[in-house]
Amino acid sequence: MTTDQLTAEFETFQGELKSFILRMTASVQDAEDILQDTYLKAQSKIDTFRGESSLKTWIFSIASNLARDLLRSKKRWPETVTDICREEALHNRQFFQEAMHIRETSPQGKFEIKEHIAFCFTCVSKSLPLEQHLALLLKEVYGFKVTEIAQIMNQTEAMVKYYLHVSRSRMIDIFDHRCSLINKQGICHQCTELNGIFNPKQKAQEELVKIEMARDAENKSKEELFDLRMKILQELDPFESGAAELQLHHLEHNRRVMEKYLEEN
Amino acid sequence: MKQVHTNSKSQEGKATTVRKTFSRETSVQTTVMADPSIVWALLTRASDIPRWNSTVTSIKGEIREGNTIELKSILDEKRTFKLKVKEFVPEKRLVWGDSQGSRVYSIEKGAGGGVLFSMTEKIGGPIFPLFAKYIPPFDESFERFAADLKKEAESIQNSKS
Repeated sequence: MTTDQLTAEFETFQGELKSFILRMTASVQDAEDILQDTYLKAQSKIDTFRGESSLKTWIFSIASNLARDLLRSKKRWPETVTDICREEALHNRQFFQEAMHIRETSPQGKFEIKEHIAFCFTCVSKSLPLEQHLALLLKEVYGFKVTEIAQIMNQTEAMVKYYLHVSRSRMIDIFDHRCSLINKQGICHQCTELNGIFNPKQKAQEELVKIEMARDAENKSKEELFDLRMKILQELDPFESGAAELQLHHLEHNRRVMEKYLEEN
Repeated sequence: MKQVHTNSKSQEGKATTVRKTFSRETSVQTTVMADPSIVWALLTRASDIPRWNSTVTSIKGEIREGNTIELKSILDEKRTFKLKVKEFVPEKRLVWGDSQGSRVYSIEKGAGGGVLFSMTEKIGGPIFPLFAKYIPPFDESFERFAADLKKEAESIQNSKS
């Protein structure tokens, strides 16, 4: 394969790759750096690519290894990340001023509940052990098969199945306890709360009806609701959506809060 | 020396207890149609154990040789068992215990692609007769443990690719 062929094919999935790295690292800077390093590494190692997997699988493998190298020494986030960050945000006037400015001036500054659902998943899934997080994103959001994930992670298919089963069960359990969109007793209302701040004239209930996961919450099983949550992530590009700038600003806030929190705890 | 068998035959998934004056040993074994790595992961990823194992209410610590874990079981929910991991041979054998006894988990290749899982706990010592009557029987919780492990491992093994 020539460098031109590599570049052409890389461009067809680099958006997916960048969003995947963002969802692993929760950092725009890291996503951009790892994306660039992945391309450079692929270019320098292209002679070793034997076509035993697709080029996309091979490239995702390089990116996953770089992300793992970066994240291995870092603590995982607590599953209460959104509660902790909410408390910090409430005392951070500058955060809201910046967010309001983005809301009013940026073409990617809309607030939409479904975008916040995807954002929320990015934060909460960082509470999973690293390998489980990686496997879950690759399968549920980016549609890789177990055999491909085994190649990407350099693991057996049996272990990939284990990671997928456990991570999925864990996330279903967390959202079932926390998310008020799918469980009336859920303790987190952050998406509707923020909708009230950024879209004060909008009725949250009318917005929720547009989201299948919220609309069908009472009729679907926990498994099905999780699949609908994953569908929201599959359809959203966190760098290109209409809410991208607002959500990335929020993500950067949460990442900083978490770094400080994990240093102190 | 007195010796009582509560169950004389070693049946699939049925616990067997051998009582002696200074010790008591309970065992269970079951065939699990899953890769040994799945069974091993389920047994050793401590934070995940209460999710699939209905006999463990909480477990703290990392299951690694030399580490001490803190475990709470349905046998006595008020009590925290502090157990030292004595052996840790991946996908083969795990042993933990305290001064009163040890629990041995073993995984062997079984027929037809599955594994034979067995679990044995022996408790005892010179003063065992003094406290033996206060220790509840393990049979039921052992059977539940084995059944839960089999169900969870086979469900993972058979999950979609």
